Amino acid sequence: MRTNKDYLIRYKDGNLYCELADTWIDPSRPVKKALITHAHFDHFTFGCEEYISTKETAILLKERVGDNIKIKTFEYGEEFKINGINISFHPSGHILGSSQIRFIFAEEKWLISGDFKLQKDQTCKQYEIVKTDYLISECTFGLPIFKWDESNKIANDISQWITNSPEKTSLLFCYSLGKAQRLLNEISQTNFKGNIYSHGSIHKMNNSYRELGIDIKDTIKIENKKKIDELKGSLILLPPSLSKGSYLKNFKNIQTAFASGWMSIRALRKRSGYDKGFAISDHADWDGILEVVKKSEAKNVFFHHGDSEALSKYLVEKESINVLLFGK
Amino acid sequence: MSLKKFSELFGDLDSINSTNNKIEVLKNYFLSNDPIDNSWAIYLLTGKSNKRFISGRYLKNLFSQIYEYPQWLIDTCYLKVGDSAEVITLLLKNKTNSRKKKLSNISLNELLSETIPALSKLNEEEKNLEIKNLWEKLPEDNHLIFNKILTGTFRVGVSIGLITKSISKLINIDEEIISHRLMGDFKPSIDSYEFLINKNINLQELNSKPFPFLLANTFEDKIFKNSINDFQFEWKYDGIRMQLIKRSGNVSLWTRGQELVNKSFPELVEKMSHIKDDFVLDGELLVWNFKEQIAVEFSLLQKRINRKSPTRSIQIKYPIIFIAYDLLEINGRDIREIKLENRRIELEKYFSKWQIKTENNISDIFKICDLIFPKDWPDALTYKEKSRENNTEGLIIKKKTSIYSSGRKKGIWWKYKVDPMQLDAVLIYAKGGSGRRAGLYTDYSFALWKDKELIKFASAYSGLTNIEIKELDKWIRKNTIEKFGPVRSLKPEMVFEISFEKIHISKRHKSGIAVRFPRITKWRKDKKINDADSLENAYELMKKI
Repeated sequence: MRTNKDYLIRYKDGNLYCELADTWIDPSRPVKKALITHAHFDHFTFGCEEYISTKETAILLKERVGDNIKIKTFEYGEEFKINGINISFHPSGHILGSSQIRFIFAEEKWLISGDFKLQKDQTCKQYEIVKTDYLISECTFGLPIFKWDESNKIANDISQWITNSPEKTSLLFCYSLGKAQRLLNEISQTNFKGNIYSHGSIHKMNNSYRELGIDIKDTIKIENKKKIDELKGSLILLPPSLSKGSYLKNFKNIQTAFASGWMSIRALRKRSGYDKGFAISDHADWDGILEVVKKSEAKNVFFHHGDSEALSKYLVEKESINVLLFGK
Repeated sequence: MSLKKFSELFGDLDSINSTNNKIEVLKNYFLSNDPIDNSWAIYLLTGKSNKRFISGRYLKNLFSQIYEYPQWLIDTCYLKVGDSAEVITLLLKNKTNSRKKKLSNISLNELLSETIPALSKLNEEEKNLEIKNLWEKLPEDNHLIFNKILTGTFRVGVSIGLITKSISKLINIDEEIISHRLMGDFKPSIDSYEFLINKNINLQELNSKPFPFLLANTFEDKIFKNSINDFQFEWKYDGIRMQLIKRSGNVSLWTRGQELVNKSFPELVEKMSHIKDDFVLDGELLVWNFKEQIAVEFSLLQKRINRKSPTRSIQIKYPIIFIAYDLLEINGRDIREIKLENRRIELEKYFSKWQIKTENNISDIFKICDLIFPKDWPDALTYKEKSRENNTEGLIIKKKTSIYSSGRKKGIWWKYKVDPMQLDAVLIYAKGGSGRRAGLYTDYSFALWKDKELIKFASAYSGLTNIEIKELDKWIRKNTIEKFGPVRSLKPEMVFEISFEKIHISKRHKSGIAVRFPRITKWRKDKKINDADSLENAYELMKKI
């Protein structure tokens, strides 16, 4: 039997590591060579000697880390070699530039799903089905209670939420990279025609998206001393980090909401402290994960990011798929 | 006019935090729906009666059976969601055929008075088929409410007070009247709704209903600034708060939870019916130790409360007493607007009249509360500390000039409870919470030392802040020894200060003791498990009383 050490990719110090290529995937501490699936803060770290990613991820990464990093970029589908291992990026549909990473060595295929979703998103490339022998998949929402609505339905709910309270300022909290741009894109197609403001961190990412050729609706950068009357009936996009603390004192007569997949559960919605929750996610729901596992034709599956116990048991019992456990 | 609209109302109320907005939403709902549906809406929102047609477990089994879902997977989902009705709603998504939504406009009345009650007349197989059928016919947006009604778990952040306020605004009539009209039974019907929104006030109308209860607030130090002579002092009994009503010759006993409990206490009803006058008394029902003239402990009272129709021998074994502390109405005259000190005079006057003039002896089942007369505030504190000796919980302090309004009115009545007893105990088990606390470990069990062993002595789930709950949840996940379903046994490491009101011997518990109202008052991070208290310490506390 193979031990963890014999696998092409395994966990080392809590990170995914390919020993033969001496390369790390989304490492949480500085390393020599880091493959980056996408530019969310929990998928890269400062101080690596060399980064490798898609072109889009590289630009977003530089926006966050700074220009003076060493970064090599490849197109989706373009194969490159490290120590004789064939590696390629494939769209994962999570955010702009996000990718799955495929490794081929000695005719054995490995696929790291990265964060992914199957739902349509006009701000990034659609998830591509990639066949593999071994699949390492995220399972953030690995329970059947998670089933996403179409994003235009959520956008219409948001639009209605704002227009139902014309005397209020509507604060919508969302991740500044990816979620914010997807929401802007969707909301601009609804009946809501009022002003949309965004926080500096979101504004910056909007501009990066535009530079990369994605059509994102213009928003006004929110200044601290906006007149309250001007904000009435308008929408303001803010990062979740500002929801607790004194920042909200800048506004009067507000209603708040959080856009996240977790908001589909009432208890979490109530506990979050926001007035309202919109269940929209850039991760796959239960059906999405199952679909990817099946279509990838993987014989062996590993899960990381999330509670995989139930999902693993289900796949073993119902689909007879071999689910392996990483020795961390 | 439909379940659909009610589902929308539920969604709105669930996502609005401001009281004023909630009232506005309710008012508009009442304005745009017909009386019978409004009546049902009030019935559901006030939680007057959450009848359970099927259990949460049954609902989960049924889903598992119909859709061939493994039971363990549904249970895992439940741990995350904390509500059977909601789990099934989430799992039902995209499962039912949308073309068959024939019931998209079913009225609340039809659903609640016909469709759902009809289920209980079916055998199990037919019932299951019908629920599946209803799931398929009802729009997805309505599944949550439907499942919640089925399982009797309909709850939303709306208090009776809020309903009262919105109806009061709707018809521009004083809240007190609406509140009074809402007391007691509420049978959903066109009549009951029209009675509620009737703009003409008929004094006879409320004959069968108790008055809204006036509640005491927690004592505040600033009261010390006032003269002690401004206040009336009473013992705070640990019984059942009740209004004892005799109108047009009929006696009725209403609990604060607005339950009519005549059947549970027939001897009281019988004796009081001999009194010649009509009256409304506010007081406390207790099981009484006549030899020592004190209340027995609450656990014995519970043995009596739990009997819906007590036999003669139970009545003798657990003799009850009604202690009146206020007179609200006498011979049809509402005297709630009179000052407390004057109501007290009336109460004493009538009580002595009834004692002499009533044919049967009433004083073995009915008395008025003794007043306490502390010289000054330090003296009041001394009384408070003595309250455990006569099985009371502390003092009730009432402004002599207070009128009997309703609710937890500020600045007139206070409860001044004796300081709780405390022990430092070790956390040994944790269980997943439900409802709002789903997905977190929030129900804890604590242990005390007995020689070298930790023995469970209390369970508590309140007292920690949200931040502490999250921190502890993380710790629990990392320090689990074993999992048994939703319960985890934990590495004994964390010490907490547990406060409680009472302690008594209990044969049912391994520790041999039981405590009342245990709650966490401090996370003793400074203490090691060897610093925690022992069962010996608990027995010491018992002796002190």
